[in-house]
Amino acid sequence: MSRREKVLTYMEKHALSMDQGVTTSEISEAIGVLRPNVSKELNQLVREGRIKKLNGRPVHYVVNHAVGKRKIKMEQKPNIGFAGDARISDHNIKEKSAAHKNEVDAFENMIGNRDSLKNQVEQAKAALLYPPHGLNTLIIGPTGSGKTYFANKMYHFALDKEIISKKGFTTFNCADYAHNPQLLMSHLFGYVKGAFTGANSDKDGLIQEADGGMLFLDEVHRLPPEGQEMIFYFMDHGTYSRLGETTKVHHADVRLVYATTEDPESSLLQTFVRRIPIIIQLPDFKQRSAREKLQLLEQLLTLEANRIHKNIRLNEDVVQALLGSVTYGNVGQLKSNIQLVCAQGFLNSMHNKNEITLLFSQLPPNIKDGLSNLADNRKELGNLSRLLEPTMVIKPNAKRGLPDIDSYELPYNLYEIIGDKATLLKDEGLDQTAINNFIMTDINLHLKSFYRQGNLEKTFSSLNEIVDQEIIDLTKQIQRLLQERENYPVRDNFIYAMSLHISSFIKRVQSGKPLRSISSDLISMVHDYPDELKIAEHVKVLIEDHYRFPVPESEVYYMAILLVSLKSEPKAGKVGIVVAAHGNSTASSMVQVVSQLLSVDNIAAYDMPLEMSPKVALDGIALQAKNIDQGNGVLLLVDMGSLSTFSSKLTEKTNVHVKTIDMVTTAMVLEAARKTALIDSDLETVYRELREFNGYSRTINKVQKKKNDVQKISDQREKAIIAICSTGEGTAQRIKDLLDKILVDNLIDDITVITVSVVNMKEQIAKIQQKYQIVATTGVVNPQLAVPFVSLENLLQGGGESFVSLIEEINNHTVREAEALEHSELLTEEMSQNYLGQYFTFINPEKIAKILWSYCDFIQQRSKLNMSNAFKVSLIMHMAGAIERYLTRSEMNVDDDQLASVRLEKLYPIVKQANKVLHDTINIDLSEAEVYYIVEIFNTEKEKNDTQNK
Amino acid sequence: MTMDVRLLRIDSRLLHGQVTTNWAKAIHVNRILVVSDRVARDLTRKTLIVQAAPPGIRTHVVTLEKMIRIYHDPRFNVLKPMILVENAVDARCIVEGGIRVDSINIGAISFDNTRVMVTDAIAVNAADVEAFKWFHDHGIKLDVRKVSNDSSKNLWKALSEKGLV
Repeated sequence: MSRREKVLTYMEKHALSMDQGVTTSEISEAIGVLRPNVSKELNQLVREGRIKKLNGRPVHYVVNHAVGKRKIKMEQKPNIGFAGDARISDHNIKEKSAAHKNEVDAFENMIGNRDSLKNQVEQAKAALLYPPHGLNTLIIGPTGSGKTYFANKMYHFALDKEIISKKGFTTFNCADYAHNPQLLMSHLFGYVKGAFTGANSDKDGLIQEADGGMLFLDEVHRLPPEGQEMIFYFMDHGTYSRLGETTKVHHADVRLVYATTEDPESSLLQTFVRRIPIIIQLPDFKQRSAREKLQLLEQLLTLEANRIHKNIRLNEDVVQALLGSVTYGNVGQLKSNIQLVCAQGFLNSMHNKNEITLLFSQLPPNIKDGLSNLADNRKELGNLSRLLEPTMVIKPNAKRGLPDIDSYELPYNLYEIIGDKATLLKDEGLDQTAINNFIMTDINLHLKSFYRQGNLEKTFSSLNEIVDQEIIDLTKQIQRLLQERENYPVRDNFIYAMSLHISSFIKRVQSGKPLRSISSDLISMVHDYPDELKIAEHVKVLIEDHYRFPVPESEVYYMAILLVSLKSEPKAGKVGIVVAAHGNSTASSMVQVVSQLLSVDNIAAYDMPLEMSPKVALDGIALQAKNIDQGNGVLLLVDMGSLSTFSSKLTEKTNVHVKTIDMVTTAMVLEAARKTALIDSDLETVYRELREFNGYSRTINKVQKKKNDVQKISDQREKAIIAICSTGEGTAQRIKDLLDKILVDNLIDDITVITVSVVNMKEQIAKIQQKYQIVATTGVVNPQLAVPFVSLENLLQGGGESFVSLIEEINNHTVREAEALEHSELLTEEMSQNYLGQYFTFINPEKIAKILWSYCDFIQQRSKLNMSNAFKVSLIMHMAGAIERYLTRSEMNVDDDQLASVRLEKLYPIVKQANKVLHDTINIDLSEAEVYYIVEIFNTEKEKNDTQNK
Repeated sequence: MTMDVRLLRIDSRLLHGQVTTNWAKAIHVNRILVVSDRVARDLTRKTLIVQAAPPGIRTHVVTLEKMIRIYHDPRFNVLKPMILVENAVDARCIVEGGIRVDSINIGAISFDNTRVMVTDAIAVNAADVEAFKWFHDHGIKLDVRKVSNDSSKNLWKALSEKGLV
């Protein structure tokens, strides 16, 4: 028996008794072969695929049964079962799988199963087949990469191979209850009667329901520590206890599959990675081959074709646009986008019984952009073009079936809705264009509301990072009651403001701190608002009912104040802003940035694709101006001079007073939004002030002026951000903590965050202003100061970073300038010449600058890389350094290994050619080490662009 | 505990591409602080510097005064920065301001007509020599290396050989 056979025989013999695998040392001891030799054989066996390595230290090895001959026998007979109603359960495969058991490989029709997912599929099979109970598995992959889909496939595979005895793929999303560990635990493990208030009878958890089947725990990084502990215990022993029990007496046989988007290196996952033997990493969409991308597209289109029972015809450019439209969301995003364009195509081809056509010209702009996204990546585009036919026809295909239920599916049949609507409108006698317009708006609304729902949940998940889920639920209940019973109008920010308020009140009661006293000012103020006082009384009762402790009367006054401040709609009469610019989304993206940063509502965008006629543009702008006007006039910001003549025509057309400023930039829109946010600002004043705000152009005047500004600021007061909540304590304090952290992260040490209560807000702010210069505000209510305000919602949804950078920008006018400068013409040959003169000793700047500038162009042309001027300047500086090192004979040293590896780089031959030009012109031969560094510069730049794009 | 300054480096060009990337990787920094009053005011250079920063590491340009201020501010203790200054005088200024280091890395100081060349890449004038003397007297090592894997040379030796100290 050879050494290798010895190792393998040993492993096979002990596979059953050691389901965690064996280590090199264990084998070495058992078969009496030296450890290094065992290790060598093991590695060879892994390479041959006969055994597998498990994660963790020391490394454990197991026999790879996916390729082995052994059949797994199950003692239990399959019986029918299903998962609970709240979760996705799977029935539709029953009939199909019954016929093909043991023959069909569930992974067979999964795209990439022989290619980019080959390893993953093998891992999954090995994990499932591993005797006696399989190995627990963690699937890691970015959003939309198909984790649920993959787990579903694993389930079907297990079912077909009779590895699991029961039908039932139970999924549970840990994020749903992450902020209420008790509730989460009771869902997972069940509870006994009396375990907590409301536990009126014993109840089984998901673990018990999944007995004999598979349990899929999604977003497992959100599982709280208590849950982790229980799950680990269950993984190790197969037993668990229900909530309220002391002994772990319940037994269940469950295949556990976990999934997460988290980086496995993150501390959150460390515990998991250590405890779970099989980790399956799914690739993101970008990493998949052109062929697979195309197959995925075809498969997803087939799903739609099946739904509408028509062929789908599309040209090359639509395929490219769709594939290019995937920016962050992987296959899931592709699926959503395909649904959108198919809905649109369905509508436009309603008259055709057999076929729908997707036309590039009819695609929504964000999907059209996909084409240019793709064009940026020439290699990818090239690979794809080779596979593409000019036209593609997708036919319905029963074999591919209907889509599985997942979070990217709309909960209703969109096509039916479109069909019904269209018939209805036709009966009404509307013409086709009108019908199409009407329904397209509808489709967008449907899809938007669907995705917004998703967004909203995200919002609340960040809210419940600071407020207990229980309080959020209570607040939602209060909101409903107020709306239904009292007919009291509640605005969006109610949930935020109210739940934060209740939370800090409860915390105060629980910590036994003295209750707030109320001033007579407050009482007299509240009595001016009898409605809110009445509502606050109701809310008080609701809280008392829920928590079963008395709420003091003083709290009613605070709540009334909060309600008053939430109610006060921004007063009418703000100057409106319309941004109009050429390009498919130039205007709307500027407006989006600004309205997000400042949460203003008096701003609208009008995008003008280049082919749009001025007449259409004028009408469109007029409409926007009319919509946004609040009776105080509209400021029109345009990108080109030709549009600036529109003012009088617009005023004529709309009766709205319009003033136009050209050369719009994001900075200017920001400035305009800030200025118009003041209630008492009028169009003329804003217009005048904005005209003086001549962008951030670097004229001498401007620099001079800026210097004065700096001086002005430096002898002024200290800077502060105001955080407002109802009492100025609980919530505001937390906002302060959050902002403080971001400020530190941005190295800002000269801005203080000050908390303020809504009560006497004006007076407090006035007082603060004596000592501080207020640079921004945030909180439950906008105090209407002439500085940016960011709403609580925005702040909690990760808007904190952009808030701070906005403040930075306003304070030193740098960030955006820097961005603009990066591509600016200022960074030209002349400037690099200056720098060369400044930093180098032996070279002639005037002559060298020219040579190096064309060196950059040479590489740019051959490599087809996009090089910003700023990057060129830094490359030129580096090259000058290299030349000087050559001249002074002090060249860099690089390892031989690194030198060898750089020769394999794609850029290497191009850099060599470029250096040859240097040799021919100035007779300088750069060493291989220098070539290495030049290639590295490009690599670093690429890495940086990649991380930025992520 | 104060801020853990991983490296204080003098380089006329402050931050430039590969050299900085090499250092940042070798000594595990989580920030790069470019400390220069001149650059803090010069938008173009600031842009170039931020542009040339290695991927994944945030880079800030701050004034000498702010550097000293945040060094003593416990809120910023989490930073493990590499500090880059343009010349020896600036380096002395922040070290006198309290920033603790045992050695100073000197990359390149470019030549101009007030300076004399000491090594291939380093030129000094009277003010520089004064500052280096001060460092030497305070037991701070003057370490000459372009990139982290070069062998270290002592600038003091070179200055002595040239008869400058």
